[in-house]
Amino acid sequence: MIHVAAAGDLHVGPETAGTYRAHLTGLAAHADVFLVAGDLTRHGTVEEGRVAAGELRDVGVPVVAVLGNHDYHSDAEDEIADVLRDAGVTVLEGDGTVLDCGGTRLGIAGGKGFGGGFEGRCASDFGEPEMKAFVGHTKDFAGRLRTALLDLDADMIVSLTHYAPAEGTLEGEPPEIYPFLGSYLLGEAIDASGADLAIHGHAHKGTEKGLTSGGVRVRNVALPVIQHAYALYRLDVPEGRVEGTAPRLGTITPNHIRSHT
Amino acid sequence: MTGRERDMTEPPEYLSAHIQERVAAEAHELGIRVDVSGDVVRLRGEVVSEEQRREVEATARDAAGGREISNELHVVAVTEPDGEERLS
Repeated sequence: MIHVAAAGDLHVGPETAGTYRAHLTGLAAHADVFLVAGDLTRHGTVEEGRVAAGELRDVGVPVVAVLGNHDYHSDAEDEIADVLRDAGVTVLEGDGTVLDCGGTRLGIAGGKGFGGGFEGRCASDFGEPEMKAFVGHTKDFAGRLRTALLDLDADMIVSLTHYAPAEGTLEGEPPEIYPFLGSYLLGEAIDASGADLAIHGHAHKGTEKGLTSGGVRVRNVALPVIQHAYALYRLDVPEGRVEGTAPRLGTITPNHIRSHT
Repeated sequence: MTGRERDMTEPPEYLSAHIQERVAAEAHELGIRVDVSGDVVRLRGEVVSEEQRREVEATARDAAGGREISNELHVVAVTEPDGEERLS
């Protein structure tokens, strides 16, 4: 089994430096890994990135993070990612990583993601270049997410994004802004890969628990939603999936994987 | 100027949208609900710190054209979790 700690939307800044970290002292006793679902900063400045790096440095378990829209606000996302990496944080941007958690291989793939909306009420790759760029950004990312998830050679697979892959965890947000909170294209990539869990943030007024259309569990770990410094999830390797040996797809086909995959 | 231009702080929907825009651009809070009713601007939502709560209020006040601000923003209390969800 794997114990996952996860949080998103930390929104740290120099004036609050050290406050968040003070709540992470017990994390290593309860979790094998800490997943951070984006929006580590408020304005996306390198200075805030350094504060975020300080909060996440040496927490006692591997930290895997993605950036959020706030972290892009000052066009310093690359520098923020570098500052985080210097502090030992793995920053995913459409790629993946595999961690050994006591003999069980945990594969995590992810990145910021983007919006567009959900089935039946979403933006289309049509019309003005601005609209195509909007939808194209999500499509590009969803393609990379799918490939990164499928490429993971691991026992358990977790998707980590800032934007939401499903509508269920947005409940509480005004439906009119769903297209700015996530996209079904992310959920489709997650379903295609047979992931075990999808973590996201971004939707402060949403709810914690949901499912993708294909039945993968989704958890919105934005701090205002989980109301704690992080949420804890225990993942048990399903019976029939042999830890450390079997390739995940092919030998076991969870019933939620769609036929077209 | 044609003389037709009007002060668009009325109807209040435009003002609340403009305040929301300023709060997003300057205080970097995207999820704040802003309702203008008469001379009162009501702010609702959740922020992560007391500093942020004050900054959103100050930004809204600056954009509110002298209206009273009712700051109903809630600071999220961040504590260590008290349990683990088992997913299997």
